[in-house]
Amino acid sequence: MRRNQRATRLLTGALALPLAAALIAGCSSTEDPSANKDTKPVAGGTLVYASGDAEPSCLDPHVGGNYPQALVASQFMESLFTKDAEGKIIPWLAEKSEVSADGLTRTITLRDGITFHDGTKLTSEAIKANIEHLQDPNTASSTGYLAVGKVDQIKLVDDLTAELKLSAPDNALLESLSMPWTAIQSPQGLKRDQAANCAAPAGTGPFKVESWDRQQAVNLVRYEDYVSPAANAERASATSYLDGITWRFIPEAASRYAALQSGEVDVIDNPQPDTISTAADNGLGHLDAPRPGASNRLELNSSKAPFDDVRVREAFMHSVDVNSGINSLYFNTAKRSYSLLSSVEPLGISDDSKFTTDATKANELLDAAGWSERDSEGYRVKDGKRLTLKFPVSTNQSVPAEQSLFEQMQAAAKPVGFEVKIELLDLSSWYGALAKHEYDLVSAPYTKVGPSVLRILFHSDSTIPAPSGYFANNAQIKDPKLDQLLVDAEQTNDEAERAELYKQAQQIVLDGYYVMPLYDQQNHFLYSKNVHGMGETTAVSSPIYYNVFLDK
Amino acid sequence: MKLLAWLGRKVGGALVVLWLVATAIFIGVRLIPGDPAEAIMGGPGSQASAEALANARSEYGLDLPIISQYFLFLAKLIRLDFGTSYSFKDPVLQIMGEVLPPTINLALLALVVAWLLALLFALLAMRANKFGRLLGNAVEIVAAAVPHFWLGAVLIMLFSSMLGWLPAVANGTPAGLVLPVLTLALPLAGFLTQLMRDSLNTAMGSQFALAARARGESRLTVFRRHGLRHAALPALGLTGWAFSSLLSGAVVVEAIFARPGLGRSLLSAVLARDIPMVTGIALFSALVYIVVMALTEAIERLIDPAGAES
Repeated sequence: MRRNQRATRLLTGALALPLAAALIAGCSSTEDPSANKDTKPVAGGTLVYASGDAEPSCLDPHVGGNYPQALVASQFMESLFTKDAEGKIIPWLAEKSEVSADGLTRTITLRDGITFHDGTKLTSEAIKANIEHLQDPNTASSTGYLAVGKVDQIKLVDDLTAELKLSAPDNALLESLSMPWTAIQSPQGLKRDQAANCAAPAGTGPFKVESWDRQQAVNLVRYEDYVSPAANAERASATSYLDGITWRFIPEAASRYAALQSGEVDVIDNPQPDTISTAADNGLGHLDAPRPGASNRLELNSSKAPFDDVRVREAFMHSVDVNSGINSLYFNTAKRSYSLLSSVEPLGISDDSKFTTDATKANELLDAAGWSERDSEGYRVKDGKRLTLKFPVSTNQSVPAEQSLFEQMQAAAKPVGFEVKIELLDLSSWYGALAKHEYDLVSAPYTKVGPSVLRILFHSDSTIPAPSGYFANNAQIKDPKLDQLLVDAEQTNDEAERAELYKQAQQIVLDGYYVMPLYDQQNHFLYSKNVHGMGETTAVSSPIYYNVFLDK
Repeated sequence: MKLLAWLGRKVGGALVVLWLVATAIFIGVRLIPGDPAEAIMGGPGSQASAEALANARSEYGLDLPIISQYFLFLAKLIRLDFGTSYSFKDPVLQIMGEVLPPTINLALLALVVAWLLALLFALLAMRANKFGRLLGNAVEIVAAAVPHFWLGAVLIMLFSSMLGWLPAVANGTPAGLVLPVLTLALPLAGFLTQLMRDSLNTAMGSQFALAARARGESRLTVFRRHGLRHAALPALGLTGWAFSSLLSGAVVVEAIFARPGLGRSLLSAVLARDIPMVTGIALFSALVYIVVMALTEAIERLIDPAGAES
């Protein structure tokens, strides 16, 4: 899915400074929260979570399907599969699964004894109902339905076993089914009208939706009949320690942080980089959970001038100094990436040789590409046209630090002769600009579990727009050899071959200077020191609060 | 009879204004880039299929000719049907009913607090010496000029982060209301004081004030019985404007303090291209403006019948 609906940040910049100053002055505690790790779990208490994301319009992550929905739904819905601590895909609501030799039939067997929040039993019927729900156009799923796109038919073998018939082999299916956007909910619940199901989806998670006061909070309470799919001998009871979670939406980063500091809330997401870097000094815990899928990166539109010339693309890579910008603007909380994939993806490859800062080389390349003259303002020109790069930036998706990073790049590219035109846009206008191909540079995050995100981003099919005008291949790569590698990589049964094919595919994209990786998709959480047991996440790095407890 | 005619003129005028506003909004929202069907199917950049988009278009009447859409829209408005929110799939009127009370509470409280502060400032200014008056003047100008988002941040920093007296974000308690109300009220108070002080000075220096003083009334009594009435009139005339400025200020304040309300709904509706929500809120704001203007006019007539006749 594409990262979506970040907080409205129109005021954040102005707020951050005076607040940061006050917080440094006002706080004396320097206790390291990790020192309390061995505290014995205690049950009770309601955790207050403050999200900076826009409030979802539907709590069912099948509908639409963005990260804010995943964050909250991870508490009340569970997936068939998940990732273990080593990043390996393991069964969760499923007990086991196997695939036929031709890769076209996937058999999934569910765990016995699990019930939904509405009291109905989890059976194979739920697999069928949920996948069909995702595929139904009226659900308006834009994330989950892509993940189950190859599922043609679902046959119920017995009460707990279902057979998925695929249109083509898909070794990414289990990764796809580990995401909250394909999580399993009660078939009975799905039969309600969409508004009712959106307000309180009935999942199997350790918490259930009790009520939703719009613009105030989603109130989650402990699910007393919870059965954890993971055996855990240390726990006396299978239910969550917390009585519940109050899930609030506080759009302003500075207000959110002030509320955490004053103890009004216990956990916040989307903290500003400067507050992350001083968290430990301020007695706060910090969870850094990079999202899977693609790294945050700039894509260079290769379908039109000037980036249809590989020399110009390469020149751009050498004309900017990204590393010092990241270090200063992110206060060392984000690490430079040289990979197309997130650092949590085991099959990602890195290549830092392509992204050295070298103005001399950039100038030589541009001269060679015919952009040898300069106009009165110092920008390069060719055939009377200036070397201009249109760069629409979504203020919803690019945090202030990222916007500043882009401005630094703009300044750095100028002496070489690039005119970078940054345009700050709201999400709708930004998608509109992309749909109309009014961009040469763009940063468009994409979250998905596993390396198959590469096919979505770089296969030539992804240059064909959806009815809304949306397309995922922003670099506009159309390379038959790359297409073949990405298709083969998804169909092989051999893990080593899969890794090798994805490696070759990534190398083609890197060698073509289509993409400039920046850093992992940042996903940070700050929490007060009375919160313990933070750290477990779903396959998409959204935190789970099953093992979290408070010592209020 | 006179009152009835006045009322009739007001209602008739209000209906014309509402119709003009509705038409302007109808045209305005169609000039915003972005496909409404896309907004219905999960917001910008949706990957909804052609079939799903077509369903949405026919369900919401977006496939009709624009002129039919316009008359359908007006016909629904007459029946007070604002349509269904694209993002929440609930009737707009129902959602507005949920988010309206907190905003009205906030705006009314801020209005009262602003008036009280303005009266207090005006009184202090009257009693102050030259230096005090200069200082007061400076404070008013600064108060009237500070943007809400800056003031909100400073108040949170001061009373929440440093002193720990008040919550930084709204929590449904009266304490949680203090900072949002102050953030809205202070700039308005500064503005009202400036207006009041000029006419107060004139009134207090006038012959009838002098005569009252000569009769032996104290300065305070003169202020209360004569000065206040003169000082309040120009400020009162602007209260209609002030109330609508409070509503627009609520957009910012509700975001900073994470309060539920109309302002926050408007912001998210605009970002999500939720046309029925935007239309509903804009029409409602126009209605509030008209009603408040009529009310202040009525109060002005009560205080100063002569002025209203002329």
